[in-house]
Amino acid sequence: MRSNLRRGNFYRYFGLFVFFLCLCSIAEAQGLPVPQRYVEDRANIISDAVENGLNGYLQELAQKTGAQMIVLTINTTGDIPIETYAIELATKWKLGQAGKDNGALVVIAKDDRAYRIEVGYGLEGILPDSFCGTVGRTYFVPNFRKGHFSEGIFQGVVVMVHKIAEENGVKITGMPDIAELRKKSTGRQNPFLSLLILLVVLPFFISRLFNRRRYSSYWWGGPPIIFGGSRGFGSGGSGGFGGFGSFGGGMGGSFGGGGASGRW
Amino acid sequence: MKKILPAIAITVFLGIIFSAWYIKGYNKVIALNENVKNAWSQVDTQLKRRYDLIPNLVETVKGYASHEKEIFEKLAEARKGYFSAGTIEDKTRAATQIEGFLSRLLMFRETYPDLKANESFLKMQDSLEGTENRISVERKRYNDAVRELNTYIKSFYGRFFAARTGIAEAQYFEIAEAEKEVPTVKF
Repeated sequence: MRSNLRRGNFYRYFGLFVFFLCLCSIAEAQGLPVPQRYVEDRANIISDAVENGLNGYLQELAQKTGAQMIVLTINTTGDIPIETYAIELATKWKLGQAGKDNGALVVIAKDDRAYRIEVGYGLEGILPDSFCGTVGRTYFVPNFRKGHFSEGIFQGVVVMVHKIAEENGVKITGMPDIAELRKKSTGRQNPFLSLLILLVVLPFFISRLFNRRRYSSYWWGGPPIIFGGSRGFGSGGSGGFGGFGSFGGGMGGSFGGGGASGRW
Repeated sequence: MKKILPAIAITVFLGIIFSAWYIKGYNKVIALNENVKNAWSQVDTQLKRRYDLIPNLVETVKGYASHEKEIFEKLAEARKGYFSAGTIEDKTRAATQIEGFLSRLLMFRETYPDLKANESFLKMQDSLEGTENRISVERKRYNDAVRELNTYIKSFYGRFFAARTGIAEAQYFEIAEAEKEVPTVKF
């Protein structure tokens, strides 16, 4: 009797174990887990400097306006079109605040040579489809064709962040105005622009590397660093990479298929 | 008297359980039906939005391909057809027709390379593609809502409650491949 019961228990636990295994594989098939940071570089095509820079901008944007924008790079979306992939992921992650629906998701599928900018209901006015299409055509496609993923993503995302910040009447610390720079320069490929990006992002990265502890106290105004929730700017906050650019998860925003997509 | 009291209690108890079950089932049909209606109004909004974009797009394309009168006329006709359609079925058919003409219109960018360089055409194309994407998103949500309602209505209890509420199965928004006009490119 006793051994029967034990065996019953064993089967029960084994069954439970198998059940959870199945659950896990289903979850994996359905999509990616909610990212830990604003830039999720799964295809490994963004340089660390750009990744950290954008993480800072996107976090500050989320803090100042509530708008949550996630940048995701992957190798391929598999059999499903990138449009379907993006809307399903964005809906699942619930990017943006509930009621305000101010979320956005940028997906870049390297091997598919396709990108999609998915815009939540609440941001459709600020980032209309035609604007997203222009961003893709102007900043993503020409750069991606040359394999300059970091530059393309940096420029495109910064332009969109700038637009959202502008409409909300806030400024993102240390972020260059890419669209303005582009307008001023007439050349097609602008070395000045890349140089500026390097100038903006590199010191940020270097200081981060060499002076993790006090770096923000004398840096001239780059992306803000968050140490465990408090703004570390000028406060000489201590701490490691832990809280920097970390994404706390979606806030219940919903999506209706706005945005633009394209191929290169 | 002693025997009647428990009988009354049991009857009342069963009555409460029955009405709770009844109300729950009744409300479920109504809620599912509301979902379908809401989902359809979303689809309708996006379809209307698409048709508001058409005149502008046609104007731009006309500047480059004024002799392609046939498609402009057909498009205008199909657009009118959508607004005069009453039932969901008619609207679906009109929408599918327009989709075919629109993709043909967009293919003009291959025939007339100047179009591809026109920023306002590109922007319009973005808006149109964005709207198409929204339509397909809302269409999927609508079809999911319809599926949920129809499945419930077909179930054993669902049939009973559907008859009580007078709610019938809803129509899917399907794209009949045969009705879709394949875009042809003339060189």
